[in-house]
Parts: sequence; C-alpha cells; structure tokens
Amino acid sequence: MAAKYISREKLPEWLKALAAERRVLVPVEEGGSVVFRAYDPARAPVFGSDATAPPKGAVFPASQELFSYACGKEGEDANPTLKLEAHTEATPTVVFGSKPCGARGFLIFDRVYMGKKYPDPYYIAAREATVFVTMACDRVENTCFCHWVGSGPADAAGSDLLLTPVDGGYLVEAVSDKGAPFLDSPVLADGAGKTAEAEAVKAKAREALGEAPDIADAPKALLGLFDDLEFWRDQSDKCVSCGACTYLCPTCYCFSITDEGAGLAGKRVRSWDACMHFQFTLEASGHNPRPTKAHRLKNRVGHKFSYYPTLHDGLIACCGCGRCVKSCPVSVDIREIVQNAVAKAKA
Amino acid sequence: MTDPFNPYLPEVATILETVQETHNIMTFRVRFDDAAKMAAFTFGPGQVGQLSAPGIGESTFVINSPPTRMDYLQFSVMRTGEVTGKLHNLVAGDKIGVRAPLGKPFPVEDMKGKDIVFVGGGIGMAPLRTLFLYMLDNRADFGKIRLLYGARSPQDMAFSSELPEWTSRKDIETTLTIDRDAEGWEHKVGLIPNVLLEMAPSAENCVAITCGPPIMIKFTLEALKKLNFPDEQILTTLEKRMKCGIGICGRCNIGTSYVCVDGPVYTYAQLKALPNEL
Amino acid sequence: MSRLEELKTRIREALPGLECVIGWQQGYDALHNTPLFMRSDADVDKLTWGVLNVHNPAVYLPTMAGKKVGVVVKGCDSRSVVELLQEKLIDRDNVVIFAAGCDGVVDLTKVKAKLAAAGVSAGNAEKVATDGKTVSVTAGGQTVAMPLAEVCADKCLRCQFPNAVLADVFVGDPAPQPTPNPTGNADLDALDAMSVDDRMAFWRYHMDRCIRCYACRNACPMCVCRDHCIAQSREPHWLSQEDSVTEKLMFQVVHAMHLAGRCTECGECQRACPMDIPVLALKKHLNRTIHDLFNYQAGVDVAAIPPLLQFKLEEDNIKERGW
Repeated sequence: MAAKYISREKLPEWLKALAAERRVLVPVEEGGSVVFRAYDPARAPVFGSDATAPPKGAVFPASQELFSYACGKEGEDANPTLKLEAHTEATPTVVFGSKPCGARGFLIFDRVYMGKKYPDPYYIAAREATVFVTMACDRVENTCFCHWVGSGPADAAGSDLLLTPVDGGYLVEAVSDKGAPFLDSPVLADGAGKTAEAEAVKAKAREALGEAPDIADAPKALLGLFDDLEFWRDQSDKCVSCGACTYLCPTCYCFSITDEGAGLAGKRVRSWDACMHFQFTLEASGHNPRPTKAHRLKNRVGHKFSYYPTLHDGLIACCGCGRCVKSCPVSVDIREIVQNAVAKAKA
Repeated sequence: MTDPFNPYLPEVATILETVQETHNIMTFRVRFDDAAKMAAFTFGPGQVGQLSAPGIGESTFVINSPPTRMDYLQFSVMRTGEVTGKLHNLVAGDKIGVRAPLGKPFPVEDMKGKDIVFVGGGIGMAPLRTLFLYMLDNRADFGKIRLLYGARSPQDMAFSSELPEWTSRKDIETTLTIDRDAEGWEHKVGLIPNVLLEMAPSAENCVAITCGPPIMIKFTLEALKKLNFPDEQILTTLEKRMKCGIGICGRCNIGTSYVCVDGPVYTYAQLKALPNEL
Repeated sequence: MSRLEELKTRIREALPGLECVIGWQQGYDALHNTPLFMRSDADVDKLTWGVLNVHNPAVYLPTMAGKKVGVVVKGCDSRSVVELLQEKLIDRDNVVIFAAGCDGVVDLTKVKAKLAAAGVSAGNAEKVATDGKTVSVTAGGQTVAMPLAEVCADKCLRCQFPNAVLADVFVGDPAPQPTPNPTGNADLDALDAMSVDDRMAFWRYHMDRCIRCYACRNACPMCVCRDHCIAQSREPHWLSQEDSVTEKLMFQVVHAMHLAGRCTECGECQRACPMDIPVLALKKHLNRTIHDLFNYQAGVDVAAIPPLLQFKLEEDNIKERGW
C-alpha cells in the first residue's frame, strides 16, 4: 500500500474526523505527566516524548467489571436467587500517537489472553475494537532499550498504522490489514516523496540506540540463579516494593479479581495487580511463596526474561520502553539486573 | 461448566446440603441450577472449581466427589481466611457460583492395572477422596488399593460418616491414624509418615498419591523414598493463591508452570524439576 | 580530605560491625542517583554526596529490624530516623547515623522543566556539574545552567535542619542555617486560597491520573503498615479496587491522616509519584493543624511523644470543656 503524508497543521482535522466515529485516545500533558485521554481539540497532543503512562488502559483498563450480581428472594417460599450479568462489548477506539513500544506491549498480552483453551472475551473484544496509530521515534532517551528485546524505534509489531515524523509533518504507513482502510482518509496526501526521508529518520533513531548486549542466555541464567538469594537481595535492596514498574509497563498483564458491592448487589471487578506487592501471592493460611521483595523482583525479572520467553517461542515479555527504570522512585534498572544475571551465570 | 465464551462467569448453583465435617471444615453439595448444564458436566478426578458467593469473592477447591457420582458436586472448605470464613456461613438453599472444571486431573488411565497407595492428612483427604471413590466405583481396573488417612485427633477427621464403610470394605485396606491417642479411638496412633513406613507398601507396580499439610507431605515424600518409590510414581497436588484459574492472572506460577492450568496434580519428579518456590 | 572522602573513611571503619550502610550512588544516568547498600569497601567507593541524593534512605530502616545497619542522612532524612526512634519502630542500638551538612537537593521535576524550556530532554542527560549554587546539566550536547535555588526541592526552600538533628558521625563543617523562603509553601498557599469546591476540583483533576501504584506509601519512611495496608485489605474492606477518583482520593486522605503529626515532610511521597501528583500538600496541611493545636513538630526530639500517640486529660489548646 502506498504511503501517505499529513502535515502537522492538518493533523487536528484527521483527529477530529477519527473522533467523530470512535473514541480517540491521544497523549496529553496533565499536571506534568503525559497520559492518554480522549481527544479534545482544545488540548494539544504531546507527540514528542513518550507518555508517562502507556496506552495499556485502552485495551486493559485499570479496573473493569467482569459481571454484575444481584441477590434476592422470590415468591412465598422465599428461595434465594442469584442473577449474574456480563457484558464484554468494547468501545471502538483509536490509540493515536503511542510510541512503538506502547503498542508492542499487547503482543505479549495476545499470547496469554488469546490462548486456545481460555480466550479472554473482555480482552479480545477490546483488542479487536482498538486501532493503534503509532508514532515512530525520531529520538531516543537514556532509558530506551527496545533494541534489546527484538524491537526498535520504528517497530510496527502490534500497530496498525505507523507515523514517522518528517519535515513539516508525518509519513503515514499502513502496517496491518486493520490499518489499511484508514489510509483512504481524504485528509491524507500522497506520501511517496517523503518515504526516503522517513527511512532516514528511522535509521538515525535506531543508530542512536547503539549495539544491544547479548542477553540470549538470560532465560537460563535467571533460572540458574533462582536459589541464589544473595544475588536477588543485592538486586532488590533498594526496591521499595511499589507497583510503579508494573502498572506503567506496557507488557505487565497480571490482575486481581475482587467483589465490590454492598448489600445484595455489586460487581466482580478485575483490576491491575502487581507481583511486587506482598499480598499478590499471600495465601489464606498466611504462607507466602514470595515473602520478600527479593523473591518478588526475581519473579518479575524472571517472568519477563525467562519464563515467558521459554513458554512463548523466545518472545521477551518486555518492550524496552524503559518506564520501569525512568519512573521507579529509586531507579531500579531492569537492564542492569538482566546483565548482572547473565554475567554471574557466565562467571 | 466453564462457559467457553466467558471463563470468568460462574455457573449459578444451589447448595443442596452442608456437612460440618470438623470444627473448621465444612462440606458443600451443590448442583447447577441449569439442569441441562448439570447433565452435560464432565470432569476428571483431581480437577478443581472456583467457588464464589456474591460479594465475598472466589476461592479454589477440589471437586472431591467422583465423576462417577453426579447427583451433586462436593467441595470441602477449611476455614482459613476471608472467603472461606464467609463461605462457612452459607446454608442449604443458598446460591453459589461455580467455575469448573479447572486444572488437570490425576492421570487415571496411567494408573489402571496398578496398586495404589493413598496417603492423606487432614483436609488433604479432599483431593484424594474424588480419586479414591472413582477407583472404588471402577474397582476392577486397579490392583491393591490402600488408604492411609490421618488427622490430629478423631475430631479433626473429615468424611467421618464414610469411614466405617472405608474401613470395613474387604476389597481395600484402610488405615486411620491420629497424632496422639484419644479415648475410644480404635485405630492407629502415630504420625502419618511413621505409620506409612510400618505399612511398608511395595513400590513394585504401585502409585502413591499424597496430599496434606506441607510438613506432612515433606516427611511422607521422605518415607516413600525410603520405601523405594520412584519419583514418577509419587503424585501430589499443589495449592497456590489463585484468582483467574485459567493461567492468565499471573500469581500461581512456579517458574514456567502455572498451578491453575498445569496443576494442581504433579508427580514428585515434576516438582523436583520446578524452581524452589512452594 | 574532602567531606565525601572523610565520610567514606568513617563508613569503611564502621562497616565490619554493620550489616550494611545505606547511602547513594550514581544511577542509570548522570541525572539520577540511586540508593546504595554498602557491604564492601568497593561499594563504599561508589558513595556520592550532593544535590542528586534526593532519596530518603530512612525508608529502609524499619524493614531491616533486628540487623545493625548504618545510614547516611541529610538533615531532613535524619528527622525520619528520629521519628522512627520516637515511635520505637527502630532500635537506637541497631542504627549508626552518618551525616554531613546539606546544601539542598534538586527536584528532578523542576530540572526537567528547565531543560524542556531550553529545548533539551532530560532523557538525554550526559553530565551534571554543581558548585553548590548552580546546577549545570549537559544533555544532548547542550549545557543548561540553573540556579540551585530555582530547581531545589520545595522542602529545601523551607529547610530548618540542613544538619542532621541526630548523628553518630558528622563529617565536615555544618551547613549554615538557611533563611526560610516563603515559596517553599506555595503549594499550601495556593490551596488555602481556593474555595472548597475549587479545592475538590483540584484534587479530582490530579487524582484522576493516579495509577494506584502506592509508590507514595512505599517510599514514605513513616508508612510502616505496608503489607497490611487498608488500601488492599479485604477486612476491613474500606477501599474498593475500582479505578475511581473517589477511591484514589480516599486512600490519600487515609494516608495523610495516618501521618498527622508523624510526617516530617521529607516529600518522598510526592517525589516518588511517577505521575507527579502533588500529594505532599495533604500531609503539610495536617501537620500545620497539629502544629497549631499541639505546638509540635515531628522528628526533632527522640524523647518526645507524638501528640496523637499520647493522651492528655485536657489538651492545652483544645478547650473541649469550655464548648
């Protein structure tokens, strides 16, 4: 499919047209942070830097109702009744202006939530209803490491359209079947003349990342260090066991289920949960298989760089966006931990 | 039945009967309200279900009735935390949500033609009960069947109404034991692993299945090793905190193994291959 | 010998008798320091002292109960240590306090804003230099100099204790007593000036982006319930796990109430917030109330009992019998 072009000035027109038919989420500045919010022509989107929080909530909301329940009693003999009602429908959505890493996160979800045995109807509905118009990176930051995990600043995996910043505007390419029809928008101009420039922008950003270290041994190395609690103590000493890394991670997909209601009616809610919290694996008996932050950080790193890739054809459950590094209150650096593990296994 | 379209949505069931087994164990017998779904329901011994009462939340329990007796599904709940404490308040006639069957059953086909030793402690008898009764209902398929069931005291023995039948049947060998002697107790006194060593079942063509509190399992495994049971011929079931029960929510894994879908039944050989995080 | 070298020497001397000494080292880039757990002489070599030591290492002390540990503190951090001692959450015999005079630390949010205004991204920081008055950050090949007074943490603007209020080892000359700068309370002043409705709207606006990661709670040295926090407990079921502004704000209010008269305003809750939510103001407001009622300040006197942890038949400033 031929690439298109849109100028910066025309962009609001395109966004307005998209928003007329769907929910359009764009990154906007809010109190110093950049978050995805419904497009409002009065608020200029922030496309230059990666959003503080990824667009994870577009498909996997911080909390969602699995079903509602209502208890009652019917008739003279007053037998209790229980009615459950589930809705899995999703709002048609365009996530506009995420970086490639933010969209790539859902590839990690897909393998788990779209499994053959127990496909997740809520996730699938939302995933299918969502189109990702992704913005390739024209610059990288100190915390970026997408090239470590098989991705890159112009990675199209998980996206439907890819925008690349060029002089005056953006080259627009369809990178999935779902994205192709969007190129028909009359707002878009022919992009043939901009392709070479876009390729140069992509190449420059990729070059800025430099060489990625060899972490092919990470799955084995991390498993081999499972019982080395001193190693994990050293890696986790400074961790304060909050959930910033997991909640801001485009690939972290764990959740909790709780009943929230009062009296006879309420709902069963699925909400983001974090393996860094003590309660995550706490059993009713009081026993906790992951009692310390060392155990928990081990699981987080192990899951991303060892268990998940082992189960899913080597795919690393990390998109290299660096949010866990950048947003950690104490700058725990997952890159350092993985490299330490690989180095220790070698030694 | 776990709705193939929505694995999170429980089937509404009615509690037919509750049995106060011990001071902290209560048994629930339930049937799905949808008769057609109840009739179509199938499961294997060892598979689990998520029980939930609205507003309380869900918890995982083994279906401890056998698939050969489908008048109702039976679950036995030990009161340990918030959900189990509240489940204990339910009475016959109350509604309950059931998501089942989940997890993998015991490898029943592989056990056919073999001698079987069950070693259960306390509430650990529940996962054994489904397989034990399944085997009694298909008695000809199995060799010698021995059951060793122990509890702290006679009052801590669940399924007490069934014990007279289990101890008197001639086609099985049932040994009951309690930790310390009690008045009127006519069976063994002693810790389960010690009694097992006394019984000294032959490991030849025999499968041992054990379930109970962690400390009991630890010493039972040691006893079975002393009796020369190969790791592949020892089965146990694991418990972990679970939420989704379908391998997604991320908390019950031991390395790459998700207890909710890959378990709860594991051979000792499989357990040894897993990272150390029980 | 420089202050830092002297500090290192004293830590090396003490290390054999300690589980570890907690300080700071450079983190993943020039702009980010990170807590350092020193267990060997080689670890001590990494110790830094300066404007980038933004974290409060006292947060780790209650989790290391039973072990004898050392901690390097700024003046504000020392108040957390003192408050922990006041509440008997740590044992005096098990903590060795290393300190030096503090010239203030940066607020990275302010630094990032300064860099952004100069067209430079903090994400490309390469080098940071400081002379105590100016911070110069080189990023993307460009150097931006900023007066420390303009990019320091708000708590530094209102600092009363640049030198540790309690220390076993104090190196170098004490820092001069700073003149309180009223802009250090600009957050509270702005909220005070709002109508109740506007104030509610302010909090609803900011809490909307809260991701409920509880970094504010876990980075707080005085938030010691942690694993048993009502935020996630089912019994009592005070908060639901629904992603609503009401639930999020409710947690902040609970957090602030639990810290009333205990909070030393170290600002870690706000600094730790990955979403830059100004949550410290809630605690400051309650502390002001505590100060007005009880003439009390947390974390300055090991022997003092925090007012809400004691009972007086009749309070000096609450004339309930006269109502």
